[in-house]
Amino acid sequence: MLEAVFCLPLFAGLIAFLLPVKLGRGVLVVGALLHLQLTLLAWLSDFPPLLPGYFSTAPAGILVLLVTSFIFVFIAPYSIFYMREQEMQSEPIFIGSMLLFLGTMSMAALAEHPIVFWIAIEATTLVSAPLIFVNRSKKALEATWKYVLICSVGIALALLGFFFITLSMDRAGIDVPLTFSSLNTAAKHLDPLWLKIGFIFVIIGFGTKMGLAPMHTWLPDAHSEAPSPASALLSGALLNCAFLGIFKVHTLMVLAGLGDFSGSLLIGFGLFSILVAGIFILKQPDYKRMLAYSSIENMGVIAFGVGIGGMALYGAMLHLIHHSLLKSSLFLSAGNLLLGFGSKIVAQCGGMTRLLPRTFVSFFAGFLGISGLPPFGVFVSELLILIGAFKAGHPVAGGLFIASLALVVAGFARIVTSMSFGPSRQEILVPEQTLRIVSPFALLLTSAVLCVWMPEPLHQIIINTITVIGGTIHG
Amino acid sequence: MINSIDLILVLILLAVLLSLGSSRMMALIKIMALQGAMVSLVPIFIEPQARLSNGGILFFQLMLLIKAVLIPGLLYMALNRIAIKREVEPLIGYHASLLVGLGLVMLSAYITRRMGLSLPGDYALLLITAITTTGGGLFLMMSRTKAITQVIGYLMLENGIYLVGTALTKHTHNIYLVEFGVLLDLLAGVMIMGIILHNINRAFDDVDTAYLEQLKD
Repeated sequence: MLEAVFCLPLFAGLIAFLLPVKLGRGVLVVGALLHLQLTLLAWLSDFPPLLPGYFSTAPAGILVLLVTSFIFVFIAPYSIFYMREQEMQSEPIFIGSMLLFLGTMSMAALAEHPIVFWIAIEATTLVSAPLIFVNRSKKALEATWKYVLICSVGIALALLGFFFITLSMDRAGIDVPLTFSSLNTAAKHLDPLWLKIGFIFVIIGFGTKMGLAPMHTWLPDAHSEAPSPASALLSGALLNCAFLGIFKVHTLMVLAGLGDFSGSLLIGFGLFSILVAGIFILKQPDYKRMLAYSSIENMGVIAFGVGIGGMALYGAMLHLIHHSLLKSSLFLSAGNLLLGFGSKIVAQCGGMTRLLPRTFVSFFAGFLGISGLPPFGVFVSELLILIGAFKAGHPVAGGLFIASLALVVAGFARIVTSMSFGPSRQEILVPEQTLRIVSPFALLLTSAVLCVWMPEPLHQIIINTITVIGGTIHG
Repeated sequence: MINSIDLILVLILLAVLLSLGSSRMMALIKIMALQGAMVSLVPIFIEPQARLSNGGILFFQLMLLIKAVLIPGLLYMALNRIAIKREVEPLIGYHASLLVGLGLVMLSAYITRRMGLSLPGDYALLLITAITTTGGGLFLMMSRTKAITQVIGYLMLENGIYLVGTALTKHTHNIYLVEFGVLLDLLAGVMIMGIILHNINRAFDDVDTAYLEQLKD
């Protein structure tokens, strides 16, 4: 039964609340490994859902689930060694919430019924809130409050959007079960006006959660105040799940013949997000906030690619995978930096090459990767999106895309060089530890490997995701 | 039958206006309990025969319990712990808020007419109430500074969206399991917000969101 994929981490999470810390850590790692196995089963073999009206193995969902599960396996052991240095008072809550977070995200990825998807996404907000305010500092409280309130309101609007989509079904007099796949089949007959209104609410609602500008305001606060493993999960996994909601409704729009409308909206929000992120990164004094803005930028890139369609759509899906790998690696490296320097302010960190040489390598490599340089996958995905944009006849958008990306790289490079080669500090608080280095390196390595060699089933699932709405890899 | 549904809807509208004009926290929570109870009753009166299956009866009892008892109860507990009696300085005054509320009712009536939908059973007032409640909730969130009032605004927004759902969609789509999931999310949400409120109060000795402005670029 497919439901085991999200039931397992949910139960493990609930149990972990009650267990003593050491046992809880074991549950976290074992839960992560089991979850990956179940995910692989759901992906590669026939794993029918118990409730076919609510859950399914639709390719887009499986892709997101796979990415989530994969990065979680590396984040889980890292977070254990990170927590050891932090002396956290409420570690069982942290561990339990991590597992619940994994469970709700998997539920969202597998959801087939729009309202079930909505329930799962709202649940991700609620179970990740304790991850952000686990430090209980004033700033963490502020970040959590903004996160919960802004995202809840945003997601409530998405529910309204789903109601409008249901209305478009009723207005057309179609009586099919309310699932994404049966909506897709009946797409041509749906009432276009209400479908459009529904899409607007969905893109604003889930766009809030995905971090598209101008609804992104919660994102830099939450990502910078959360402990680094939690930031890595928020950025690498949660944003993808929110994107999945927009993608599913976009698919419906394309099948209903309204692809131009939804595509233009996605291109607009995408470009605006990249631009806003670029502007804020340029003068950013805080390196974790910089990484958060970079996530906004990358979500913009994905939205842009999906909006353009065709070859850019393939690029966008690749970008989703590689952004998750690289960004979670960067956040884990940032966690090592924060432990070492004890500060998130760039000006107070310097001489990374001398003090934290291995973290420097992982952080710098992550920077190169996320900036779109080979041998990391973002190079390929951004190139494909760019070529796709010009081929599809969006030269102005393509030009803006390049200009905004250049802005982001400039800001990023200034921060990374000053941290790496700037005036060195005398001592560091917590020295590097091999156990905390392995995870970021493994994630980087995966991105580099996937750039040159992609396993056939993975390639197949991307193709299955995008061919429905006309995505190809051959221009 | 039409009279009783109209009565309920008018009570919901009244609750929106009352909440916009009241400064006392205790009164706000009582108004929310009343509104929650009324919102839970709406679907029963819209399609009485279809609604009262076995699962339906159980579900509506649960909904009444959550919206009218548990959620206001949680808010009451949160209020007791943070010991604030009233909203001192709203961003927009009470009289102005009331006027905005009346404006919202008119706007909703206009939107409802423009949409030109044939509503189930022609309950024109239903959609007007739904849109006003949604808008009122959003307005309450934006115009008040105490964090607890913002939670109440969020609840009102959710009530409104639920009403939009009942007003617009055919009831064959509604599956109790799914609706129950939405309710559970709402309950858990209020619980989490209550915990954060408590912590904010401990850290700042107040739950005014004006204190929450350290993080910005």
